[in-house]
Amino acid sequence: MSLPARVVTLVVAFLAVVAGVLWVVFDIIGPQPQTENYTAYAKNGAVDVTMMTTPQTTISNRPDWVSYFIKNPATGQFDHTTYFAVPANTTVNVTIFGYDGCTPLRNPLWGRVTGVVNDAESLQIYNGKTLSSPQEVSTFDSWANCSVQHTFAIPSLGINVPVASPPTVDENNALCTVSPCVGTDPASGGAPYSVVKFTFKTPNTPGAYHWQCFVPCGGGFVDGNGGPMGTPGYMMGQMEVEA
Amino acid sequence: MAADASAAATDRGPVPVPDRGDARWLLIIWVVLSIIGCLLVVLVLGPHLPPGRASNVAASQQVDIIVLSGMATPVVIGVLLYFGWALAFWRKRPGDETDALPLHGNVRIQATWIIGTSVIVLALAVYGTVELFVPGGAGSGQGPQPIYNNGVTAAKTDTSWTPNSGNILQVQVIGQQWAWTFRYPQFGGFETTHLVLPVGQQVQFNVTSLDVIHDFWAYTLGVKADANPGVNNIAYATPTVTGYFQVRCDELCGIWHGSMYDTGQVMTVSDFMAWAQATKTQLASLTKILPPYALTYDPTTIPAGAINQALGLTSAGGGYYNPADPEQP
Repeated sequence: MSLPARVVTLVVAFLAVVAGVLWVVFDIIGPQPQTENYTAYAKNGAVDVTMMTTPQTTISNRPDWVSYFIKNPATGQFDHTTYFAVPANTTVNVTIFGYDGCTPLRNPLWGRVTGVVNDAESLQIYNGKTLSSPQEVSTFDSWANCSVQHTFAIPSLGINVPVASPPTVDENNALCTVSPCVGTDPASGGAPYSVVKFTFKTPNTPGAYHWQCFVPCGGGFVDGNGGPMGTPGYMMGQMEVEA
Repeated sequence: MAADASAAATDRGPVPVPDRGDARWLLIIWVVLSIIGCLLVVLVLGPHLPPGRASNVAASQQVDIIVLSGMATPVVIGVLLYFGWALAFWRKRPGDETDALPLHGNVRIQATWIIGTSVIVLALAVYGTVELFVPGGAGSGQGPQPIYNNGVTAAKTDTSWTPNSGNILQVQVIGQQWAWTFRYPQFGGFETTHLVLPVGQQVQFNVTSLDVIHDFWAYTLGVKADANPGVNNIAYATPTVTGYFQVRCDELCGIWHGSMYDTGQVMTVSDFMAWAQATKTQLASLTKILPPYALTYDPTTIPAGAINQALGLTSAGGGYYNPADPEQP
């Protein structure tokens, strides 16, 4: 091989390696979901955080993955992220709009509400026409009733909250098809959903606390735990507690 | 000219080494340092070596590490002493162009070396083998049929437990991506995220998994057992001090493997009994919806309710979507 050919080959190989490294850094490691920072919105030692679950993520390049969305406290829009920040030693009032259908829990243990005030959640169901009255629920039997779609769990804080699913077969077959599920269209925000509310207190010390779903909802992956279950921005995320 | 110089060097022959009694001094210094070193390792460092003495198996493991460290100390000191001695007294002097003394086989040294190392290695092999069984399997997972169990029969069917009695306390450890849960079959089979143990009572850990392979590692208790799906892996330990201990997963099990930890607590027997009874009552409604206690579980076959069946969801195994799903790994 001639000298120019060797030089060109070397340069091309070098650029290929650099491109590969840059791709890994910027496309795989680098991108993290944006953080919805609620710290500035805390009043009187409390802050309200609003989330949403959807049966798909049509705004992403993984349109058939289930996902969480979090409301941007500044714009009021639901952003495709699972990262949020709250102040330390603060009461957090969480509202989750659950638009997904039911899935049996791998371990029924996670059907119990723990780590939040009264170890119970407030539950309302919208059946496509009316919103039911709030009722307090502490335990769901996802095997017998198929009553859970996802969970919001922070294991290190002992928090586990099942997100109830619309309770009937018809409702489960008429789920939101466009994410985020907003508006009044029956195919989006007007589809059947649950409203789950609960309250917990953040730790005194700042830190990052991972949260996850315990329903094996990574469809098509081993044990249902790949894909959205292992990807930031879908079914797992981080709660950043700020000083 | 060059040939003359070479001949002259050969004529000089090896430079005689002054007899300083190196071997005698090396031996004396080595013995003194070894005694000091062993005393320091065993008496000063030993009590602080991992994993501590929070259980009988942890204490046994600490003793093993002290023994190994104590045996290694004279060897390490001997090597370093010989190295230092060579640097100080046997290095080549400026202008010294001669060879060292020719080495010849020394049967006494060779025999001492071979016999000494053989004795050490074989003794450690015997000691290590015995220590794998004493006490109670050394805190390691022994599979579903443990070879050594301190003479206590695995009580798979006990529905109650009495302290200081013949029936051993059963605690089932269940791994799941990414959390540990614990079931107490002798207290109605309740399941909790809190691992609580009584002090001074032997515990049989039945370790299993609901999905991938995890590894139950209660480090300061000296307990470590793989959690395999469909397998009951048994380990034993008797906590000896009250307090808290860490539980970690020691098998890379997915993206949140690093967060798969828990804090356990060892409390007095009376406190444990009170906790167990209270938790049994508190979790009664949850226990009703759990699958019956078993040594292993298969979440892919569940007694699904009517709605699940109508929706085609008769498993909790994941993978609910069409096998042709484009996100198939």
